[in-house]
Formats: sequence, C-alpha cells, structure tokens
Amino acid sequence: MFWEMGCFLLKARKRTYQAPDLLLTIAILSLLAIGAIMVYSASAIWADYKFNDSFYFAKRQLLFAGVGIVCMFFIMNIPYLTWQKYAKPILIICFILLIAVLIPGIGMVRGGARSWIGVGAFSIQPAEFMKLGLIIYLSTFLAANQKYITSFKKGFVPSMLLVFVAFGLIMLQPDLGTGMVLVLTCVVMIFVAGAKISHFVGLGIVGLIGFLGLIISAPYRINRITAFLNPWEDPLGNGFQIIQSLYAIGPGGLMGMGLGQSLQKFFYLPEPHNDFIFAILAEELGFIGGTFVLLLFLLLLWRGIRVSLAAPDTFGSLLGLGIIGMISIQVMINISVVIGLIPVTGITLPFLSYGGSSLTLILCSIGIVLNISRYAKL
Amino acid sequence: MKRVSNVTMRKRLVTVFLCAIVIFGIIDFRLGYVQFVIGDVLMERAKESWSRDITFEPERGKILDKNGEVLAENVTAPTVMVVPRQIQEPQKVAEHFADILDITVEKAYQEITQNERIVRFKEGRKLSEEQVEAIRTLGLDGVYIAEDSKRHYPNGTYLSHVLGFTGIDNQGLMGLELFYDDQLMGEVGSLSYFSDAKGHRMPEIADVYEEPKDGDNLKLTIDSRVQTIIERELDLAETKYNPDGALAIAVDPDTGGILGMSSRPNFHPEHYQDVDPDTYNRNLPVWSTYEPGSTFKIITLAAALEEGVVDLEEDEFTDNGAIDVGGATLHCWKSGGHGHQTYLEVVQNSCNPGFVTLGEKLGEKKLFSYINNFGFGEKTGIDLQGEGKGILFNPEQVGPVELATTAFGQGVSVTPIQQVMAVSAAINGGYLYQPYLAEEWTNPVSDKTVEKTDPILKERVISEQTSSEIRKALESVVAKGTGRGAYVEGYRVGGKTGTAQKVGEDGKYMSNNHIVSFIGFAPADDPEIVVYLAIDNPKDTVQFGGVVAAPIVGNVIGDSLRALGVEPRKDGLEKEYQWPDQPLVEVPDLRGLTRKDLQQYLVNLSIEASGSGDVIVDQAPEPGEKIEQGGEVRLYFGDDDPNKND
Repeated sequence: MFWEMGCFLLKARKRTYQAPDLLLTIAILSLLAIGAIMVYSASAIWADYKFNDSFYFAKRQLLFAGVGIVCMFFIMNIPYLTWQKYAKPILIICFILLIAVLIPGIGMVRGGARSWIGVGAFSIQPAEFMKLGLIIYLSTFLAANQKYITSFKKGFVPSMLLVFVAFGLIMLQPDLGTGMVLVLTCVVMIFVAGAKISHFVGLGIVGLIGFLGLIISAPYRINRITAFLNPWEDPLGNGFQIIQSLYAIGPGGLMGMGLGQSLQKFFYLPEPHNDFIFAILAEELGFIGGTFVLLLFLLLLWRGIRVSLAAPDTFGSLLGLGIIGMISIQVMINISVVIGLIPVTGITLPFLSYGGSSLTLILCSIGIVLNISRYAKL
Repeated sequence: MKRVSNVTMRKRLVTVFLCAIVIFGIIDFRLGYVQFVIGDVLMERAKESWSRDITFEPERGKILDKNGEVLAENVTAPTVMVVPRQIQEPQKVAEHFADILDITVEKAYQEITQNERIVRFKEGRKLSEEQVEAIRTLGLDGVYIAEDSKRHYPNGTYLSHVLGFTGIDNQGLMGLELFYDDQLMGEVGSLSYFSDAKGHRMPEIADVYEEPKDGDNLKLTIDSRVQTIIERELDLAETKYNPDGALAIAVDPDTGGILGMSSRPNFHPEHYQDVDPDTYNRNLPVWSTYEPGSTFKIITLAAALEEGVVDLEEDEFTDNGAIDVGGATLHCWKSGGHGHQTYLEVVQNSCNPGFVTLGEKLGEKKLFSYINNFGFGEKTGIDLQGEGKGILFNPEQVGPVELATTAFGQGVSVTPIQQVMAVSAAINGGYLYQPYLAEEWTNPVSDKTVEKTDPILKERVISEQTSSEIRKALESVVAKGTGRGAYVEGYRVGGKTGTAQKVGEDGKYMSNNHIVSFIGFAPADDPEIVVYLAIDNPKDTVQFGGVVAAPIVGNVIGDSLRALGVEPRKDGLEKEYQWPDQPLVEVPDLRGLTRKDLQQYLVNLSIEASGSGDVIVDQAPEPGEKIEQGGEVRLYFGDDDPNKND
C-alpha cells in the first residue's frame, strides 16, 4: 500500500486525475458539523449527569471526527485500485475478527450483543469492518466475474453465499441492524452488477422464510414489531423508545423548539445522542431542520451514484455504489425507526450519531469514494 | 478503460437512485405527518409526561334545603404537602417540621424522603394558623401549604340516605353526593411545572397555575321543616313499635318535588363505615319493592271512575266476606264481610271483594293500562341511584285471579316512590310528575342561579273530574272509614290505608309479619302535600295500616301544613266517632265578654288567661276551631271592648 502511495505521488500529474468531487465533500463536512453540534446539544444533560462534564460526548465526537477527517484525506489519495489488490487479505482479516468477537473473553457484550473488541474507547466493532471489507471484496469478485453474473451457479450463488456467511456470523452476536445493512447493501451491489431479476425473486422468497425463522428463534424481535404497530400498548416496555422518540419529534413542528431547547433529552429519551439523535434534531430544529438533513443525505447519495456512473471501471463503480449504498441504507433504516416507520433495529445515524470508531470508519470509506471521484468523468 | 456491458449497470444505477429518492420522499412525508398531523396530539401527551401537577382541590358545593338551610357543607383545614424530590436538605426540613408540627424528626424525615411525587402525612393535616405561618416563613423548597377540606353534615343522620356521603378524596359515593358528583365537585386546579424524567424541576420554564373552580351549591326541594317532622315521627315510631324498618316520603303533588324522605335504619354520613353497607346502599323509599296492599286500591278506583264503570253513590255491593273468582275464593280482610254497602263505603271500608268487582268491571286490559300509565313497572326517574322498578304480572299470564288480586293490591310489587307519585297524580287533577330533589343550582360566589329544575310532567292520566271524586272518596275514608287515625281537624286529610303481606323465604305469605302503610294528602280541596309512610313488621300491636301508620301520617300532615303556613279549612267532612274517640269541641266566640260571663260558656275547656282588665280582647284558638275536650283556650284581657271601635 505504501508502495502505491509512492507511485501515486510520483506520477501525480496524470491528465485523468482531478480534485475530488466538491459537492460530495461539502455534504460530508456539513453533516459532520451538524452532527457535532447535535451530539453536544443532545448529550449535554446526560453527560453532565453521568460524567459531570457536559462536553464529555461532544469532545469525543470531535476527536473521532478529526481523526476520521485526517484518515479520509489520507485515503482520498490512495488509488482505489489498491483495494482491489488487497481485497482477499482484508476479507480474511475481517472474518477472523468477526469470529474472534464471538469468543467470550475477547468479545465484549454491550447492549445485549457480543459485538465489541478492544479496550475502552479504543474498542471496535468487527461487524462495521466486515461491511467495508465485504463491499471491497464483492466489488472485486463481481468485476472479475461479470461475465458470469447472469449465471445462477457461477455468479449469483457464490456472491450471495459469501454475504450470508458474513450475515450469519453477525447474527450470532446478534446484531440484526448491522446484518440487515450488510445484506441490503450487497444485494443492491449484485443487482447493479447485472444479476438476473428472477434470481432475486427466488432469493426474496428464501429471505422471507429466513426472516420468519429469525423471529421465531428470538421472540424479543416480535415484541419489537408489535411495539412498532402500537407503541402505546406497552408504553413502559417495548413501546417506550418509539413513544419517547415521537414525543420529541411531534412537538418540534415546523420550526422546532430552537437549538438546545429539547425537553425529551432530559432523560426521557434514553441516550439521546446515539441512535435517536434524529429525534432530538427534529425536536429542536423542526421539520425544516429534519428535511435539510435528509436533503444533505440525498446530495451525498446523488453525488455518490454519479461517481459510480462515471467511474473508469466496473470495480470502481461497484465499490463507490457499495459504500454510498451502505451509508444511505443505514440512514434510511435509522430515520425510519426514529419516526416510527419501521420497528426498532438499533443502528446509528451516520455522521450524526455519537459514534466513536464507527464514525472514523465511515469517513475512511468516504475517502475511498472521494478517490474514485478523482478518476471519474463528472 | 472502457467497459463493454455497462448499459445494464447504468440503467440499474439509475433505478437504484430513483428508488432511493422515493424512499427519502416517504421518510420526509412521514416526518411531516408526525410533526404536523399528529403533532398536536403528541405535544399534549408529551406535555402530560413532562409536567408535574400539584393539585388544588375545588371546594365542593354545599347542599341546602328549599329555604337555604345547610344540609351538607365543608370544613376546611390547611394541609402541608411535600414534593420530596425538590427538598434540598431533608434533615433540616425534618427538624423544622418536628419543631412546628406534632411529629418526631425521624418520622418527619421518613415521610419527606419517600419515593413519591407528592407526600401528605397525617400530622401535616388540619394545621392551625400559627403553624401555617411558621411553615410559610421558612420558605422551604418543595414544601407547600394547600387547603384540604372535609365534608360535614351538620344534622347528622338527618336525611342521610338522600344526601349520601363522600369518600376520603371528597368524591361522592352515595345518594345525591354521588348522583350530582360532577356538578358538586367543581374543577380541580393545579400548579404545574415541567420536570425531567428523574423528577427534578426543569430550570427556566415558567410554572402554570390554574385556579380551581368551586362546585355549585345545590338547593333541594326538601323542606327541612317537613323533613324534621318526618324524622321525629320515624324516631317515635321506631321506639314505639321496634319495627324491622320504616320509611316515609312527602311530596308536593303540584310539582313532584320531594319535600321530605327518610327511612330506618339510617346512618351518619360521616361515619358510614360503622354500619352494614346494606344500610346505606338501600335507600328504602326508592329501592324497596313489595306488595302495596290496599293503598294500591286508589289506582283501581281511579281507573274505575275514569272509565265510568261505577257510580260511588248510586251503585251498591253486598260483601259476604269472600268472593269466588275463576274457581278460587278470595277473602275480605274482615271476616264475615262488610255486608251491604254503596261503592263509597266499599272504598271507606277497603273492602277487597268490592274492589275485585271493580277490577272485573274494568277488565284486565284497561286496569293494567291504567297501572302502566300511573308509572308502575318502570323507574320514576328520581335523581337518586338504586331505584327499583317493581314487578307486575306479565300481561299474557293475567287470568281472572291475577286481575282480581291486582285490583286490591296483591300480587304486584311496587316501590314506595311509585305509589307516592301515582297517588299524587290521582289527587292533583291527573298529572303524573317525575319526582325530583334538585331544585336549583347556584354559583357559590355570586349566589346567582346557574340552573333551575322545572317540574317534569310525564303524563296526564285522569281527568280533573275523576280526580276530584277520588279526593272526596279518600277524604271520606279518613273521616268515616279505615283511615280515621289520620284525621287532622281543619286540614281535610284524605288517604288510604294499606296492610301488605310479606312473602317469606319459603315463597309463602308470612303470618303476623306485615308492612303496614298509609298514604295521605291534604287539604282535600287543593292538596299541598302527599305523605306516604310504611312500617315493616311493627311489634306489639295489631298490624293494620289504619292503626299503626294512619296516626303517624296524620301527625306529619298536620304539623307540616301548619309549619308551611297552609290555611286551615272549615268545610271538611266531620269525623265520625267510634268509641273510644272523643268528639272535638268547637271553640265559642268569647271576644267582648267579661270575666264574669265566662262561667256559663266553658264547661269542657280549660282557660289560660293573660293581660289585665276585664274584657276579653283576643283569643286563641280562633272561634269556630275545634279542640279536644278539656283543651286549653288562651284569653287576652284588656280594658277596651273591640266591638265598640267599629
């Protein structure tokens, strides 16, 4: 990797090489800024109560965002084809980490799932790495085997099999939210790569059966679904988060209560700076603020797809799509949960939620997309 | 770096992008729905979850009688309330409390550190002014003084079933207190503040104070003068006859307003826990249902007169003591029968076979349609809970025997209030009213009328002509028939006795265990009051309504009319005397006579003289009034002869 970096620096003035996409960069930096402000606003009360320091989470968010931006600029300058080369070792490392996290003593349990490895603030979630690792490997595999993609045996089955092994490992933690993001992202990639629609129909049926199986195997999931259908049936149990989230969003109205004026962050909405930060945003900044953030995410998606369309090769197209797709799917799922559109799944809102290492990782991913944009004929 | 098959990929990328736009659109739409469409509802609920209320109880409306006498009121006392989460230094507050209140430091500390939103404790209730002042001066956070009030019934057991009572939070539990709970209660006020989920007051958000709205005062149709007489007579009857139960109702026949209502056993509303729940749950005048007995004959009489099947003076009937109906023999209450009588005498004698013939003349259809029209078989709609409906024969099952027994008041089951309202209709010109107690609601501050009840006329059941005949017949029952005990000189009492058999647990009539009753009204020319009284199983007496119940009703009517200021009448029927009755003596006109003249006049009267002088200037009672033999006449002496001044 270091070697390529050197090569790049030496033959830097190639004609096809350009500055990264400006709009994409603006979208990212705006979201980061809003995220930092909202994490402070949402967490101040909670942080003061827990750590006697209202800036506790805000400081860390800034730190991880800073590290993330540095990483992003660094990776932005690594030719994306490098990742194609190292796709296999990266995937293997991710698999090792994903298996390791399941071993008690190595993996740590947080929030009912054994999904963390590491020490304190320096812990990571292997599943997060797996998402990126799998996107890189799948892009490589699909680009290399694109002529077989319409084949069920040689194209569709092997790629899906890989996805489901990864998904299976993530579900052992269990982490349904991350698993879903992973599967949906990969399905979109395989779809764009050119797989047959009929294969997806078959997969859809299998997926539905599998989904039912998952629900039967873990009854708390069905509680989450019923809670979503009528949260007021069990306002202190399963419906609690949805109700508290709606109690934040509803009073927001058009203009919101004003920045910092949320009442739900006063211990009503648990950990308001995490998964449900969009609720606090909608409470303080209203429909206008919420729509503005949605538009920023849409801008990100639009520029990402354009990069993908204009990428010089299939690998670049699929890699860019995979990363932007992963972020967008996570945004859709998170906000849909917060506004009561789908059951609670437990994933963070990229750039906005207090995220620690996952924020850094997302910025690294964006760095890759920015690099692809440098080769794209936009 | 050109690729061969990128057409599909391009198409699909565009597809993915478009799908994503749709999803973002849905999300934004839903966001708008939550914030605009259901936003207000969510805001209300969220506010409820944020706000903590300190409630201020409104003062419950008073209950007054017709003339403004207080029947139920509140006694207030300041109470200390503590919000434990707002207390800064519980130890200090506890020490202050121990100084001011009758409580130990440990106990106070325990009370004010409870995990409750608001704490009230026994020692903090009903504080004196000094205690309130002391606590206020301290200005402690989380300590509040609130007015707590308690219901008080100044007359004790008086009217208890009708008034009912309230529970610990002053909520109506029985009687009028329950029936009109909402209006009496008023609206709770509150001081609300926003709190975080851990119960701490949120800074910089203003408190909202909503003033409590006191309940309206309720003025009843009850006249405490009449009620007092009823309570007194029931107490006397209880002492004299030791009955299983007793009840009395007085109604204004021109409106349906209840003037008085009481029953025994009764209870003290402030100590309702001390008695068997059956005692307060069963308001006998509206709850109990039983065979009315002969008082029901008034309905048969009304129907027969209205339908013109009988002429009381002309038509005659011979009672041999029993009558055969559909193969069954029905006996008269008087063995051997009443012999040859006019139908007026049938009514006076309360002769059962006579009434059976009236029933037969009417036929089942007509008789039962009158019974229904007079309100039997359904609730009267009085503003009290727990009213009974009574039981009538199912129309399909009515045979000759059922028709015959119904005609003299057996085999049907009715409530006392039904009888009172039906008889009121029979004697007031035929107007069946809905009975009611709530006469008027007034604002507790301005004393202005908020709401006034108008009498509710349910049905016109008979004509004035018929009604007048009934009044005459019933007046003769009291003057000459079974109701003589109720005779009140000067007030033209009419009425009817009743002696109803009770059905025992074995389904058969019990022997020597009756409900004796009397329903009376007066004055017969223009009735002002209808009184019904029933005594359940009086001991050590002949169980006849005429013997036990009639004299009591006579006392109630006589005293009530005098208290209400109703003019005595002079053209009533004379009472027919039977041994041991003593005829009354007419008071002669003594005015203008001198002391010397008196000797020859007053053989059978005693004299109470006052004033100096030789000439009688005034006397009480007035000339022409009747008093008992040996009764007292008060004379006022002066010097002038009043006749000379003309």
